[in-house]
Amino acid sequence: MSVRQVVMGVAATVIGGGLVVSLTGAILSRTSAQSKPLHATVKGTAPTAEGTLPHAFLDLSTYPDSMGGPHGGDGGTHPDWVTYGPTTDLRVPAHSLVTMTIKQYDTGGSLNNPYFAVPYGTVGGTVTVDGKTVSTVDPDGVGHTFTIHGAPTNQDPLFVSVPLPAVSDDAEPAPNSDYPPPHVVTFSFITGGKGEYVWNCEYPCGDGYYARFGGPMATRGYMSGTFTVE
Amino acid sequence: MTIPAQVGGRVRSWMNRPEMRGVFWIWAAMTAVLVVFSLYVPARLMGPPASPTMHAVENTMTVFTVAASPVAAAVWSVALYSLLAWRHRGSGQPETDGPPIRGNTPVTALWLVLSSLLCVFLLIWGLAAMQSVTAAAAGRVPLQVNVVGQQWLWSFSYPGQGDIETDQLYLPIDQPVVFHVTSKDVVHSFWVVQMGIKIDANPGETTVTNVTPNKLGTFVVRCAELCGLLHADMEAAVHVVSADDFAAWARGRRSPPVESSPPK
Amino acid sequence: MSEAMVEFAAAPPSTGGGGLLRRLNLLTAVAGGVLFAAIGWYISHRIMQLGDFGSDRVVTITLICWALGFMVGIGAFAGPLRWLLGRDQEHEDEMFLAGKDQGIGRYFRFTTDHKVVGIQYLVVTMVLFAVGGTLAMTIRTNLITPNSGFLGPQTYNAVVGIHGLVMIIATIVMVTGPFGNFIMPIMIGARDMAFPRLNALSLWLLVAAVPILLSAAFLGGIPTGWTGYAPLADQAPPGMDAYTMTIIVFAMSSAIAGVNITTTALTMRARGMTWSRTPIFVYGVVASVGLAIPAFPMFMSAEVLLGMDRSFGAQFYVAAGGGSPWLYTNLFWLMGHPEVYVIVLPAVIALMEITPVFTRKPLFGFNVAVLSIVGIVGLSVMVWAHHMFTTGWAPDLNGSFMLTTELISIPTGLLFLVIIGTIWRGRVWTTLPMMAVYAMLWNFIIGGVTGIYLSDVPADYALHGSMFVTAHFHYTLMGAGLTGAIGALFYWFPKMTGRMINKRAGLVSFWLVQIGFNVTFMGMFAVGLAGQPRRVVHYDHLFAVGNFVSTMGAYCIGVGMLILLYAVVSSWRHGAVAPANPWGAKTLEWAVPNPIPLENFEVLPVVISDPYGYGEGDPVLPPTQRELVPVGAPRDPVAEDDTETSQS
Repeated sequence: MSVRQVVMGVAATVIGGGLVVSLTGAILSRTSAQSKPLHATVKGTAPTAEGTLPHAFLDLSTYPDSMGGPHGGDGGTHPDWVTYGPTTDLRVPAHSLVTMTIKQYDTGGSLNNPYFAVPYGTVGGTVTVDGKTVSTVDPDGVGHTFTIHGAPTNQDPLFVSVPLPAVSDDAEPAPNSDYPPPHVVTFSFITGGKGEYVWNCEYPCGDGYYARFGGPMATRGYMSGTFTVE
Repeated sequence: MTIPAQVGGRVRSWMNRPEMRGVFWIWAAMTAVLVVFSLYVPARLMGPPASPTMHAVENTMTVFTVAASPVAAAVWSVALYSLLAWRHRGSGQPETDGPPIRGNTPVTALWLVLSSLLCVFLLIWGLAAMQSVTAAAAGRVPLQVNVVGQQWLWSFSYPGQGDIETDQLYLPIDQPVVFHVTSKDVVHSFWVVQMGIKIDANPGETTVTNVTPNKLGTFVVRCAELCGLLHADMEAAVHVVSADDFAAWARGRRSPPVESSPPK
Repeated sequence: MSEAMVEFAAAPPSTGGGGLLRRLNLLTAVAGGVLFAAIGWYISHRIMQLGDFGSDRVVTITLICWALGFMVGIGAFAGPLRWLLGRDQEHEDEMFLAGKDQGIGRYFRFTTDHKVVGIQYLVVTMVLFAVGGTLAMTIRTNLITPNSGFLGPQTYNAVVGIHGLVMIIATIVMVTGPFGNFIMPIMIGARDMAFPRLNALSLWLLVAAVPILLSAAFLGGIPTGWTGYAPLADQAPPGMDAYTMTIIVFAMSSAIAGVNITTTALTMRARGMTWSRTPIFVYGVVASVGLAIPAFPMFMSAEVLLGMDRSFGAQFYVAAGGGSPWLYTNLFWLMGHPEVYVIVLPAVIALMEITPVFTRKPLFGFNVAVLSIVGIVGLSVMVWAHHMFTTGWAPDLNGSFMLTTELISIPTGLLFLVIIGTIWRGRVWTTLPMMAVYAMLWNFIIGGVTGIYLSDVPADYALHGSMFVTAHFHYTLMGAGLTGAIGALFYWFPKMTGRMINKRAGLVSFWLVQIGFNVTFMGMFAVGLAGQPRRVVHYDHLFAVGNFVSTMGAYCIGVGMLILLYAVVSSWRHGAVAPANPWGAKTLEWAVPNPIPLENFEVLPVVISDPYGYGEGDPVLPPTQRELVPVGAPRDPVAEDDTETSQS
């Protein structure tokens, strides 16, 4: 074979192989994408211990199945999995007061670690449940938690953990809804500089899996997601 | 005891052969480079140690790399010298064969003895280091910290400080600490990176490790055993503070019901 | 003519049976597998979907049915079935099974000829490396920056696990599969393996396992890393069931291959091939598959227990149910540490076989080499818990496992002595295989020395579970192991394909792979020492430079491997026709013509010396016996049947 043929062959193999690898990468990358990001709405400013900061609002819900979340009307591939909604990709502004409201529709039970029955990192160390401000909830009556954490190095530390009390097991569905009336949980915290964090639920709600931490707990887009301070 | 003159003469004439000299100089140069590398690179990459344990580990890395240098250089220098001196420069098969050397008992024996001695040295060094890690905890009453790993967070509690619970680790400087580590679900591994300690957090078991932090600053705990979805995010900060600051922090963190109980 | 040939000739003519057998091939196998799997899925789905552990049971049953159907479709059960019916295969059937007078089709059938099996293994290995390599590229792409977001954590974990297991299986078979099957029997002067049908069975079991493994990608992946640690494995999606089934099928395959290769080497060596005249590569292959025989059943039982945990809630590894994660780690590493020598030994020893040829010198210290192999094999089953220093299991035993681990450096060091002693004063002929020897000397020293750090208990406390460990085992399994396998491929390519490999493309590939490899894993050592854990989807900015360098090195490896692929495929098709013995080597496989006839040797050779008599005149005999050699004896140590030279 001539040198030219060899060079052409090598080039074709390298380009072809590169294409196969890129295609595989692209498919893998696509399958691991989250649903589209939810940006907090900034409305005015608020006085805080760290001075007057922009006030951002973010609304989430937790559903007992996947009909209500970001997985489509038919519930996606796992209609019976619990999920957060409307998305799991959350974006908030830096150096702001963030007030989150989570509508918690799911039932629950006991935490595996009572540590998470106490709110951490919120303004005043409290959380407002259905209009009532508390500094701890019953560790045996928790539906989910919303727990933000991340690498402590090279970005401002951010640790916020809030228990979301469980809806009673025998609650009737609300009118015009598949779900009983939710607990409305509101809490605020102050963000530092830019950073990339994750959040997840620390209440073991992956029923049917070891330690109830598989399934929706171990799958992106259900009970965990990213929390970007930008 | 004197070496018989005959043997001495043989060794001398062996050492005077040009290939032996060539190999020797390549070996000496490689060893020198590797020793310099050993002294400056591995420990430096590991960063400044935050505990005597980590200090010992970095020493071990340096000493082992130094010890390995002449061995690695021996293999590479023989291979390199052979390539430089005796490379066959034709395109086809060499016309003549090499010398039919089927073995060399003194060289093999020497190699075996040296590698065994090196192995004994490694073993003694390792056992001594293990002993010193264990001994470091003896003497003073250690501060106990209970560590709970769970998917995908660490939480810490201080049974001697009224069971305060935190997401970040606070440790007083120069105070032995004993960690009682367990897990709520799968296997995690509790790794205080800059202090050179690591122990798995197993469900249903409590494992123990200890360390004496000796450097003020903020360090990091990472999970070193793949534990599922957010394994990469299972990190926590470690603050090593003065004894007074630690006491102040502990007072501030104590929750009201504990404060109301009578002091012990 | 040998006795065997006479017997074959005297067999009664075929009665025309076995028509179905002749129509079975890879296509019918896949069809059978899919059909069985569909039936298994349908039935189990109907019965079990709603019950506890439903999806795990359905997946497990479906995969078992796939494996069964595949093996039925390839014809693996034809022989046993006939025995059950009271008749054996006829001579014609045997010849058909051996692939006599068939073209390319025999490579897609249950063919018993060891040369066909060797080529099949080579292709399967290359496919596995292509898959594993592609996944490695996506892993490194994800790690190019601290938080690239290229892969999500779930996909990343799944990809890491599949990459790991694919590569482990590929490296386990990469030497003993292609070269142990194709070359080793000829090397010992045999007409085939001891159990040709088992040979085909082991290959097709491996082929059946590959789709099972890849199916994990569609069942949620293997999010546990290739180690599959429980109880994380208890929690994982059904991809984990694919993992357990892969291991179970692969363990059967390797046990069968191990028994077959060991028996062949023990019983079928040519007349006169005493143990001291047996080529060192045979020792390497036997050591590897011999170690696999006790090791893989451990892995298989670990996975059977895991399967029971997952499908029946058996709780072998669940502490709350009375089990223990340490049961898994012990069973796993009882396999896992012998397993690294299963991978590394035959590769390094293949290079040891190559060294005398390209230095034109006898192997330095043959007995030393054999003893060190025996030493490594013996010690390697006693070191497993050095993977468990930080688990908290039996901390009092850490010291003893440190001892056994460090002891293993003594026989390993002797392997280096043998190779550099052979190179010393040799006519160093820098062909591609010899370059692989040099690359291995560089990489394996680094892999070995970093292994010693990890054997030191306090240092392991700091380094365990970090990227340092990842870099260390890539230096051994890839830097020494894969380099050895590529060297062996370069060396035996002319014999296996009848063509010379394109040297220029081979050179480019060699340098790209070796430089890329060292760049990749030096970067990884650095970030590991600095504290980056293994298997993390994103990392601290502190590690950014090292990871970027690693990723660039990995791309370099990727390009180099693609060029190697090109060199192999194009040379296989269009390369210059190889002479029977292009390297002037003295082992028996170079004494047979190209292409190699069906049963290798028309007349079985008698061996009168070891194959390392370079520079000693021919053949190698003590000076007092030299005059007994007939004038005009062939240059290679193959003597004709009638030249019975007096030998011990």
